Amino acid sequence: MDTRFPATTRKPCGLVATGIAKIDDVLGGGLPTGKLTELVSPRAGSGGQLAQTQILAATRRARQRVALIDAADAFAPDRAIPDHLRHLVWVRPTGINDALAATDVLVRDGNYGIILLDLRGSPAAELKRIPATRWHRLHRAAESSPAAILVQTTQDLVPAVTWRLSLEGAALWSDRRCPQLTLLQQLKVAIVRGPILAREELAG
Amino acid sequence: MSYAAILIPDFSLHALCRAEVGLAQKPVGLSHGTGRQATLTEVSAQTGLSTGLNVTLALARCPGLIVRSRNLPAETEAQRILLAAAFTLSPRVESTAPGCATIDLQGTGRPSTEAALHLRLAELGALGLPAHAGIAASPLMAFYAARHTDSMHWVEDLSSFLRDLPLDAADPTPAQLEVLTGWGIRTLGQLTALTKSDVGLRLGTAGAALWERAAGETTRPLRLVSPPQTFVAEWVYEPPIEQLEPLTFKLQRYAERIAAELRAAGFVAEALRLSLQLEDESEHGREFRLPEPSADVASWLRVVLTHLETVRLAFRLQRVRLVAQPARPTQRQDGLFDTGLRDPAAFWENLARLEALLGPDRVGTPITNDTHRPDAFTLGRPIETVTVAEPAPLHPTRGLVLRRFRPAWSVAVTLSAASPTFITGTLTGPVTHSAGPWLTAGDWWKPEAWTLETWQVEIDQAIYQLSRTAAGWFVEGVFD
Repeated sequence: MDTRFPATTRKPCGLVATGIAKIDDVLGGGLPTGKLTELVSPRAGSGGQLAQTQILAATRRARQRVALIDAADAFAPDRAIPDHLRHLVWVRPTGINDALAATDVLVRDGNYGIILLDLRGSPAAELKRIPATRWHRLHRAAESSPAAILVQTTQDLVPAVTWRLSLEGAALWSDRRCPQLTLLQQLKVAIVRGPILAREELAG
Repeated sequence: MSYAAILIPDFSLHALCRAEVGLAQKPVGLSHGTGRQATLTEVSAQTGLSTGLNVTLALARCPGLIVRSRNLPAETEAQRILLAAAFTLSPRVESTAPGCATIDLQGTGRPSTEAALHLRLAELGALGLPAHAGIAASPLMAFYAARHTDSMHWVEDLSSFLRDLPLDAADPTPAQLEVLTGWGIRTLGQLTALTKSDVGLRLGTAGAALWERAAGETTRPLRLVSPPQTFVAEWVYEPPIEQLEPLTFKLQRYAERIAAELRAAGFVAEALRLSLQLEDESEHGREFRLPEPSADVASWLRVVLTHLETVRLAFRLQRVRLVAQPARPTQRQDGLFDTGLRDPAAFWENLARLEALLGPDRVGTPITNDTHRPDAFTLGRPIETVTVAEPAPLHPTRGLVLRRFRPAWSVAVTLSAASPTFITGTLTGPVTHSAGPWLTAGDWWKPEAWTLETWQVEIDQAIYQLSRTAAGWFVEGVFD
């Protein structure tokens, strides 16, 4: 369908830069607005939290509002630069259902540049029990939203997602003293799923 | 000098219909008297009946007629809305009679007054209180003008205005009306064609007063009332209620009155306090800090009802009290490069919805506290305008970022040469690398004084933050 009817299947969408060169390059400039993008961090130390922190810094510079739905309540504000928190609305749900309900509310709000749904740290069994209809509802709500929605997970989770990226690297003990900018350059970003055209272009 | 009168015809009926659910669209009549003597004093247009009709006869002619007696608390509320509308035009206002307010318009210009009056009449109509207005040189003539128009009438030529008015307009007594009708006098113009002394000679001082009213010569000082200083509504349910719907209806009605009074005083509400008194005399209270101070009833109700939908009460609801905390409207000008909210109403409503869903301490902008104590932060109100970012810090941030475990994982730690070597508990494994300790302490002058020993340890190729307090060892989080 995408090849035969490109004009009807591909809607023009904006991009919100993450400030992480490797991710922005893969996505063609940034997270697409009106769509869900999944960022998988399969293991601790792969850089998922570093990416989240960098997104906060980049959106702060761009004066865009960010909502962080933190299902595991793991965000540490005391480890962030205070100025990078000023545009952040931190939502601390007490479970996955509340997290999805909160995302559903925020996606329909037109005031955010990026909505981060962080499901890392949630019980895997509960994540697998999320009905596909809830994701479908979120996809549909996102279509009319000016925000880019980034779902952070530890394994492939979101069905029918346009882009699924995976952070394949692992931190070394010596990385503790590396500047974060260096660590960001060392991130290993793999495309697990992407639009056909993009994948073909990247392949060849 | 000119005066305006705002008059709500069939005031008691409109006040009643406004206060009770579902009456507005039905045929309603207000009765006076009891038993067979009861007559209709005011009827709604849907009935097709006229006032003065016997209630029994009226029910025979209009079977669906709902007959009610006056509702005095509802009339008080409606009168307060009327006065609030009047106070937006001038601070010199008289509560002339139920359903009538007279305003001293001294110092106001005609175009602005006319526009403002049209607006107030439209607002009153939207609140279920259709009103007329008259403007004239004396309070009485303004009242006459309001009574004899369908919307608004500005009396410019008094004599021509009075000339064609019926005799009833000057409120003659039945005896005077009978005598004057006998003389063939039907209009005020015909009455004032006679001299005042001749009328006084035949009808006495009351007749002379009637002539003065008919000629528009009567004037009087206004008995001024003060605008309200507090913005409170309190009502009782008899019998007590169990459902949300009657509460929602009354909340809207009383909130409309409070909002009108706030607007008249140039205020908006920054917080609302709702107290629900139950049958067992217990009380459920909640204060709502409005995300954006306003006098908009719809936005108030969205915040309040979002909370009420989650409330489960053990007993029926008997009494309600709603208090609005007034504040001056905020005025500001954003910077050229600042980013404001695209849709402020949706932003604050959605935050209120999330607070209702998750709890008040679960949504907000994190603000780090001025302390070295770990994980010390408060959740503040999100900013409306995202200002230009501060310059990047001089020294680059190093290392991966901590993801906290809340609550921290309690573990047992085996030490060797004062360094952790093995961890047992929620996280178990040998420590392959460790760094530390970093010793911190604070608040030593307070009862909640704290001391902390922090380590970074590597277990199974992941780096964790380990801490020791008086309560034992804890894994605080993982670096990611």
